[in-house]
Amino acid sequence: MSEEFNWLEYAEPEESAPAPSPLRGLSRFLPRLPGRPRSPRLSFRPRLPGLPRLPRLPRLWRGAQPAPKQSSAADLLGTQDERPLEELDDRLQMLRERSAANLRSEAESRQALYDVDEVLTAPEILDKPGGVISAAALSKAQQQQVELLKDIVGGGAAQANEASGGRIRLGASAFSLSAIPRIVGTAVLLLLVSLPFASSDFSEGELPPAEFPEDRHGATTLYNLLDNLTTDDYVLVAFEYGPAAAGELDSIAELFLRHIVAQGAKPLIVSSNPIAIARARNIISGINRSVASSGNELVHLRDYAILRYLPGGSLGLRELSENFSDVARVSYKGELTGLEFESLDDMTHIVLIAERAEDMRQWAEQVATQVERTRLLAASAYAASPLAQIYANSMDEIVGLLVGYRDAYTYGQKLDDDFGALLPASDEPEVEPVSPNRASGGGESQAEGAGATVEPPPPTEPPPPTVAPLPTTTPRPTNTASPTATALPTATATEESIRVVEVISPEQVRIRRGPTRADDILRLALAGDLFAVIGTNGDGSWYNIALSDGLEGWIAAFLVEEKTLTAAEFLAGGGEASARNPDERVYLRREIIASLGKNRPRYYQVRGPIGGDIPEYALLRDRSAEVPRLEAMTLGTLGAVLIIAGGNVLYALGALRRRRREVDIE
Amino acid sequence: MMAEHTIALVSFILTLMVFSYVLGDLPLIGVLYRVAVYIFVGMAAAFTLVVSYEGLILPYLQDIQNTETSWTALGNSADIYIFFTALIFGLLLLLKPVRSLAWLTNSVYAVVIVVGAAVAVVGALGGTLFPLLHHTASIPANLVADFGALLDALIIFVGVMTALFYFHYQVRAAGVAGGGQSRLARGFRHAGKVFIVTALGAIYASTLLTSLTILSERISFLFQFGVA
Repeated sequence: MSEEFNWLEYAEPEESAPAPSPLRGLSRFLPRLPGRPRSPRLSFRPRLPGLPRLPRLPRLWRGAQPAPKQSSAADLLGTQDERPLEELDDRLQMLRERSAANLRSEAESRQALYDVDEVLTAPEILDKPGGVISAAALSKAQQQQVELLKDIVGGGAAQANEASGGRIRLGASAFSLSAIPRIVGTAVLLLLVSLPFASSDFSEGELPPAEFPEDRHGATTLYNLLDNLTTDDYVLVAFEYGPAAAGELDSIAELFLRHIVAQGAKPLIVSSNPIAIARARNIISGINRSVASSGNELVHLRDYAILRYLPGGSLGLRELSENFSDVARVSYKGELTGLEFESLDDMTHIVLIAERAEDMRQWAEQVATQVERTRLLAASAYAASPLAQIYANSMDEIVGLLVGYRDAYTYGQKLDDDFGALLPASDEPEVEPVSPNRASGGGESQAEGAGATVEPPPPTEPPPPTVAPLPTTTPRPTNTASPTATALPTATATEESIRVVEVISPEQVRIRRGPTRADDILRLALAGDLFAVIGTNGDGSWYNIALSDGLEGWIAAFLVEEKTLTAAEFLAGGGEASARNPDERVYLRREIIASLGKNRPRYYQVRGPIGGDIPEYALLRDRSAEVPRLEAMTLGTLGAVLIIAGGNVLYALGALRRRRREVDIE
Repeated sequence: MMAEHTIALVSFILTLMVFSYVLGDLPLIGVLYRVAVYIFVGMAAAFTLVVSYEGLILPYLQDIQNTETSWTALGNSADIYIFFTALIFGLLLLLKPVRSLAWLTNSVYAVVIVVGAAVAVVGALGGTLFPLLHHTASIPANLVADFGALLDALIIFVGVMTALFYFHYQVRAAGVAGGGQSRLARGFRHAGKVFIVTALGAIYASTLLTSLTILSERISFLFQFGVA
């Protein structure tokens, strides 16, 4: 025991094992020679009294058999060659030195313990009140050994260090002084986060913008895609978060649901997390409470549906993508939904709200790769955003990525701007229902009173069949090259020729807001779709086309074929201008374009259902806690940074003190 | 209304019980945190059981009883085989406690794991590996006009290469060639380390933001409950 054991310098004595044969790995495939010993086998035939003898199964099915040697990962690691010390990373070298130091102190402790048997003698029993234990008098050496034992098992640590003030005894367990910085830090953080709720005087930081910047992970595209939903559309909404992330993602999930139902579309909610189904029910209940006064409560299986739970992680998602018709037929309560779909491509969009990057990965791998037309619109928690962005940026099937509570705030602001009612006073007109003919005549519109509640507009007359309502003065995309003005199909008569393009690509084609691939996607087009041409960009590689709902977009020239048709032929051929639904109206909507540090408003048109109280779904929500929460997050971030920085300073000071002490000892 | 108040009160109490963990795992106080967690775990397990039964098992059982309203098209023999295969597999899982028959349960596990692995590998190839490779290797067509994209592609390329170098090519040059690593190799390693640490820092900061968002929501709830 006097010699100190050091595993760093310890070397296993080499056994005189025979050198391994180069054919060792192949031996199991070679025919067995007579006289060669058979390797021992474990009997794996389960037998029960009274049951027939079960057949022997192949080895693969019997579970992993422990090898006679190297049965654990530690054994395997132990047989690996040691790497020279100088090749190790600095961090690993420090770790190794610290480990060696610990081993030395451990060896000293062991030394003291091993001596216990030799020196521990029976304590002297004194005649004292309180029984035998209290009467036991230990020698100084015995007392040290007892303290050492207590220290090892952790029981008497508080008492042992009481004199030095290291720990305070509290109840049955020790309350370490080292916990005080943690408690102080937490208290400071709680205080900072609570201040904005207690008083409006503590407002730090700026609120998120009212509009998404143009290239903000395609967030504007995501919003526009949902904003173009109609009453015929179904949207699959995936709730992939649990209670832990509800405080962050409930808000964005609620906004998505409100937006979808306000457009008249039907959300189908699905999840591979059963608790998320409870969250979805909770959010729907909240929406229903907000519109209860008008009697427009959402009804399960009529206005929305919560589909059955998807067990099995990636297997469940694969079932969803390959067997969607069965999944959609049953609700989470086991009711028949009456929904008949052939595949996921019958969904207009898939909206994914993911708590973890793992959820994002699984949906990207198992669902996004299995759909042809439908696109996946994604939102994630902050924690998942670094990895979620990778999928959003690298996969064409994924459009947009809203991240966290700040994007939810911006999304809500856009909803309020677009649906117009119940807004704070503003100088800008928020929502103006305009007729298609008026829109094509220059986009002029009547401004409503600021802050006034917008009543549902009267149904607009469908456009005359002989006149294609193609806008002529719709504002150009701001980030595009100036298009070359070509024959603009203004007020086209049936016999007048229209310059059109027909999609010839067999794949789905994207119509973008500008003539670059970096521009947002407005919508998708299929082979055979016809669009009227407004112009082209400088080199003719993109067509500026008119869309039926007043929008205009850009489509790559190599994906289409240019033609000249009469208006009648254009409409007969299914041109977009003929696709207007008489049950829908045209809204003029405002968008703020952030460009070179300036915010410029821009107006564009979108279709929307003519509904009774449908905008209520989007507007009647409780926003009282939004601003204090954002301010609390700002203050909390500030506090967290201060706490982390302060902790690092304390740690550095402690390290300096230890080093100085070591130098003094040396 | 009464029910809502009761739910809010229970939520308030449970939130405070969870926050008690700030004080540490102490006697009495530590029990509060644990009780709140146990309540959540128990309710989550029970809710999962109910949802699984009602949404997955019950429809099958109803469908067996009434084949005329079949939504699973059990008239199709292939579906019948699938259903009974799943049923048998489920029953075999119940044999796990019987030690001598546990190998049957292992067989079911093996099938599930193998199928799951196959699905995961196929999905990872099409949904992660190829898109990432394509995105990493893509170079914008117009280098001048799309300088930002070019810069992105360059940063991604350098990050991937140096991170690979850091993880995998810490060569044993000292032992093999007799010399230490070259300055270039050390430079690559350090660059890879910088990329990895930056990525981990971004993830840490994002996690912190998520935590603060959730904390602000809970504090907001506590204040709203106090005002109410």
